[in-house]
Amino acid sequence: MRYITILIFILTLNIFSDTLYNFENENDEARFNSLIKDIRCPKCTSGSLSSSNAPISEDLKLKIVEMIKDDMTDQQIKEYVSSRFGMESLYEPVLNKNTYLLWYSPFILLFLALSLFIFRKSS
Amino acid sequence: MKILLKLIVFIVPTSFIFMFFMLLTNDKSYPGADYTSFKLPSFKLENLENLDTISNDVLEGDFILNVWASWCITCIIEHPYLMSLTKNGIPVVGLNYKDDRDDAIIWLDKYGNPYNLILHDYKGTFALDLGVTGAPETFLINDGKVVAHYQGEVNEIIWQDVFLPVIKEMEMF
Repeated sequence: MRYITILIFILTLNIFSDTLYNFENENDEARFNSLIKDIRCPKCTSGSLSSSNAPISEDLKLKIVEMIKDDMTDQQIKEYVSSRFGMESLYEPVLNKNTYLLWYSPFILLFLALSLFIFRKSS
Repeated sequence: MKILLKLIVFIVPTSFIFMFFMLLTNDKSYPGADYTSFKLPSFKLENLENLDTISNDVLEGDFILNVWASWCITCIIEHPYLMSLTKNGIPVVGLNYKDDRDDAIIWLDKYGNPYNLILHDYKGTFALDLGVTGAPETFLINDGKVVAHYQGEVNEIIWQDVFLPVIKEMEMF
């Protein structure tokens, strides 16, 4: 009987457990999970927010949950994060006048290489 | 023709190397300094000392916002310089970051209080809106707008090189 009582105590613990972040629907939770994979931890730049337990990351995750509840789009949330913690806080760099070279230089190189190749064959 | 081709093969990679070298080595001398200007986020926090509620409208004009905590070791090193700033008449507002109230007050009693006013940000929400990643960090605020942000200890050299040029340019204080 004693063992059964102990077992009941242990096995019913998960009835009282809850998720760390509460969302209104599954879609919001999925959005949160994909967002925290795309955002870098401000304290540990080699890790994503989802992999980090740093206090600042916990704060930022709570803020993101709050922003999702406030019906902000992914774009707005990412803008919030990058305006606070710099452009480097997003894994995928945004495309603007400072970063177009970063995005297009592989294509430019590829084009140059190809044209050189064709030019050489024909001559 | 062949020479031209060979020249292209040589020139294209070197120009790319040169370009990326220029882009990547274009570094500021202080990596902790950031001059992005933004509006001071809205907040509602308690005064550390007398528990009054403080919001944006209380903070007017130009001032220094210094993020500190009793658990922060660099803050102790930075502390004498903040004392001298206050002595020279520059308003310094403290933002007590993720700290226990009692610990913070003991810390102030021990080292002295350089702050005109101290906000108690126990949860770090206002600090998160400001983009604070740790302590100490210092903001220069000009009429409700952040004009300079420095991550790390502020001392004479940092003050001269990071903050003074902005202060002079904007004719603050």
